[in-house]
Amino acid sequence: MTKKVTFTLDGKALEAREGQTVLEAATDAGIMIPHYCWHRSLGNPGNCRMCLVEVEGTPKPQVSCRLPAREGLVVKSLSPAAKRAQTSALELHLVDHPLDCPVCDQSGECGLQDYYMGIGRYVSVLREDKAHAKKRQVLGPHIVLDQERCILCTRCTRFVAQISKSHELGIFGRGHNEAVDLVPGRTLDNPYSGNLADICPVGALTDRDFRFQVRVWYLDETESICPGCSRGCPISAHTSTQRPWHNKGRRLARLKPRVLDWLCDEGRYGFSDFDSDRLGRLTAPLSEVRSALQTHRDDLAVVASGSLSNEDWKAFKSLFVDKLKVKRFLFTPEPDQVGSEDELLRRREKVPNLEGGRALGFGTEIKSLTWESLGQDIAGGRVRSLYVVDRDPAKVLGEKLLHKLELLIYQGPRMGKTGGLARYRLPATDWLEENGHFTNFQGKIQEYRQALKPLGDARPDWKIFADLEAGL
Amino acid sequence: MILLAWTALKVGFALSFGLGLAGLLGWVERKQSAVLQDRIGANRADIFGFRILGLFHPIADALKLISKEDFAASQVRQPFHALAPMISLGCCMLCLAALPFGANFQAWESPVGLVYVLALLGLGAHGVVMAGYASGSNYGLLGGLRGVAQMVAYEVCLAAILAGPMFLYGTLDLAQAVRAQAGLWGMFSQPLAFLLFLVAGMAASKRIPFDLPEGESEIVGYHVEYSGMKFGMFMMSDFIENIVVAGLGTALFLGGWQVPFVHLSGTMGEAAMVASFCAKTCALLFLLMQVRWTLPRLRFDQLLDLGWKNILPLALINFLATVWGVWLWR
Amino acid sequence: MAMTVKTVSRPSRGLLEQIYIWEVVRGLGITFRHFFVNLTRHILALIGLPGKPGAATIQYPDVPAVLGARARTRHRLLRREDGAPRCTSCLLCETICPARCIRITAEESPDVMVEKRAKTFDIDLGMCVFCGHCVEACPVDAIRMDVDFVELASYSRADMILDMDELLKPS
Repeated sequence: MTKKVTFTLDGKALEAREGQTVLEAATDAGIMIPHYCWHRSLGNPGNCRMCLVEVEGTPKPQVSCRLPAREGLVVKSLSPAAKRAQTSALELHLVDHPLDCPVCDQSGECGLQDYYMGIGRYVSVLREDKAHAKKRQVLGPHIVLDQERCILCTRCTRFVAQISKSHELGIFGRGHNEAVDLVPGRTLDNPYSGNLADICPVGALTDRDFRFQVRVWYLDETESICPGCSRGCPISAHTSTQRPWHNKGRRLARLKPRVLDWLCDEGRYGFSDFDSDRLGRLTAPLSEVRSALQTHRDDLAVVASGSLSNEDWKAFKSLFVDKLKVKRFLFTPEPDQVGSEDELLRRREKVPNLEGGRALGFGTEIKSLTWESLGQDIAGGRVRSLYVVDRDPAKVLGEKLLHKLELLIYQGPRMGKTGGLARYRLPATDWLEENGHFTNFQGKIQEYRQALKPLGDARPDWKIFADLEAGL
Repeated sequence: MILLAWTALKVGFALSFGLGLAGLLGWVERKQSAVLQDRIGANRADIFGFRILGLFHPIADALKLISKEDFAASQVRQPFHALAPMISLGCCMLCLAALPFGANFQAWESPVGLVYVLALLGLGAHGVVMAGYASGSNYGLLGGLRGVAQMVAYEVCLAAILAGPMFLYGTLDLAQAVRAQAGLWGMFSQPLAFLLFLVAGMAASKRIPFDLPEGESEIVGYHVEYSGMKFGMFMMSDFIENIVVAGLGTALFLGGWQVPFVHLSGTMGEAAMVASFCAKTCALLFLLMQVRWTLPRLRFDQLLDLGWKNILPLALINFLATVWGVWLWR
Repeated sequence: MAMTVKTVSRPSRGLLEQIYIWEVVRGLGITFRHFFVNLTRHILALIGLPGKPGAATIQYPDVPAVLGARARTRHRLLRREDGAPRCTSCLLCETICPARCIRITAEESPDVMVEKRAKTFDIDLGMCVFCGHCVEACPVDAIRMDVDFVELASYSRADMILDMDELLKPS
């Protein structure tokens, strides 16, 4: 139990843990003091000087990111003296910053813009030309750097040093020539590099994937859960639906971390093809699918995906286990759905919700086949019909083997190879088009919300299962 | 034989006067309104580049109406739907027979000419209500009901108004009535009756400001389910009703064929009489048109109030005063 | 500013107005005056005498329409000195456009200093309300509106959409 201290900020009594800085305590209490270099996960170098506040009994303004809260401290962040100090700091940041906001991808969510509207000087006294530096320098697969726009807050260098521990970036030069650049011989290709575009408070580091696609003020935000692996990071999905000609016609513009500070590149860039290869229309009435299922209930195998939500799993169980009493299930991820993991965020299992299925007994009480044994069963004629939920057995087992099947039903959002072979295709919604819950590997149940309208005839998986069951 | 030819000439003249003028009135209405509203009016229809003040527009309209598909919606009631415009147009055209164009140039010289005209105008209401009923549409039906209520009200008024002058002239024969005005025109001997006649005549012929049965621009009316030439027949019957009212006014109040201070006789005199009658009718039509572009439409309750509560009592008072005056004078 | 209350009295209707006949006569007086004055003017014009025109109508396709001095019509995209379009595809005009008639897609410019340029730039004149906000919003003076360009008509809606090539051509 840490000791609590009470101090006053702008006439308001705030509580802080002993040793906590004024800026951190104020941020926790929901009060915004301008800042660039401080980041709650990256420490406080105190180099941007934006968080200057007036402290009673001290002649000069203090940086609140390095000012520990003490009992009885009286801090003013809105007083004329504090404002003057912040305005001067902002003015110095803008000395060399190019005023190319119309072109800059950051505009609309830029720290300089935001603070300038609040505490800017509005009158320029600058007589010298702005310093020029490297523009549009591609740092790695995801990030591009514009040195002119950089305000040297060092958030990026601290990120590569402390978080990704890959040390690709550094500050080079002195004074007017000081600039962020790649360490010679390196490229910025660590698995978390996309976060740099998020933490950069200005438009110096921008996202190559998102760059120039759509202005940020056209985006809608929806709280969601990343389906990239079993970690289930909370994300916010930024979608562009107001003006469909933007963002190359894709509806999903970008993903940003929510609650947590970081998001891995696999998750961040893994879903840009969200709208491609989608199943459009329902091609056969459900009653036909039902009767086909009934005829084949004894030789049926079901391949289920870990991208089903908890709701889907429940309806899945009710249909296949309770109603149809199917014996053969396959829950194992596809070989390419198993990848690398690290201690920060990424997990080996690249599907979001196998855990939700396990909670209902799938893979534990109800045994799962392996891909090899499913292949043998099909080859041996023990399995003559297959119900595939958002998986691609054609990719794993080969199309030739699937031709032996008498019945192949495919349900999922995207066609894939298997969708092309299936006799019945049931278009389902993908995670951004439905509401639901994922259970992550720690057993945490998290909600994700619908961000987009379903394409074509797509309906949530649980609805398809329930409809099939209702008519049986 | 000569008698037959002479009758055919008289009937032919009355018909062609009515129909020709009705066609022209469409143009007059457009051009007159345009001129008084500082506009130019329809002037784009041309034949080989000649536009002659938009006079081709009525021809183009007629061509369009005639060549248009004779369409009837599925809910209309046949044969009434087809019959209604015929009744409307037929009644108006029959009225033309009684108009005294000249001293000896009247298609049908009848001792009860006025009663005949009033009766046919009243019969015309059947066309309106039948159109409204046969439309199978509530808007049409309501328009027809408005129409019949208005027309019945104002036929009654018309009869009451004309009772005064007819008592004064001592006849129901229109030609005799004209002759009776040799000394003094009806509009001077019966000024109140003339004024009331203009109002009631406009109302009976469904002209703005009394066009509630049709109300083309706002309240749809009895011919909402009509198109093509059937609609054209309603339009024509409206115009011919106008002509009939104007002709009646000419005969009863403007001295008919007479030209003041000039004694007309012989064949040339007869022709001058016809010209005089036509000119007076056209002048009256011009006045009616001018009123149409001057006054806003009345509300329906105001319309009926005006008819039953104002015009009818005034007309009866006028009649009684005339009777009393005539009795005193004798 | 203090609120001021002005009491407006209802126009009273005297007996003369209620009888209505005199009012009808007055109304007819106005319409007759217009009719005969205009008729005289038309006749004077017909026989070639000078005088005011009898109608306010402009016979548009025969006689060219005259726009007000401040009227702004078709859009035009401007070029830089090197001939490239000035537009940097900042989408401010698209954002401000109240009619949503501007559609821009952006791409990287080969010139590093320009950085961003328009790949496509469409204006749907069928939707445009000619408010001029796009001109005001443009930070690089890339879009302007022409004066006296009246013939903005076409036989199809698709033809009303101008693409970048057409917008760059002076009208």
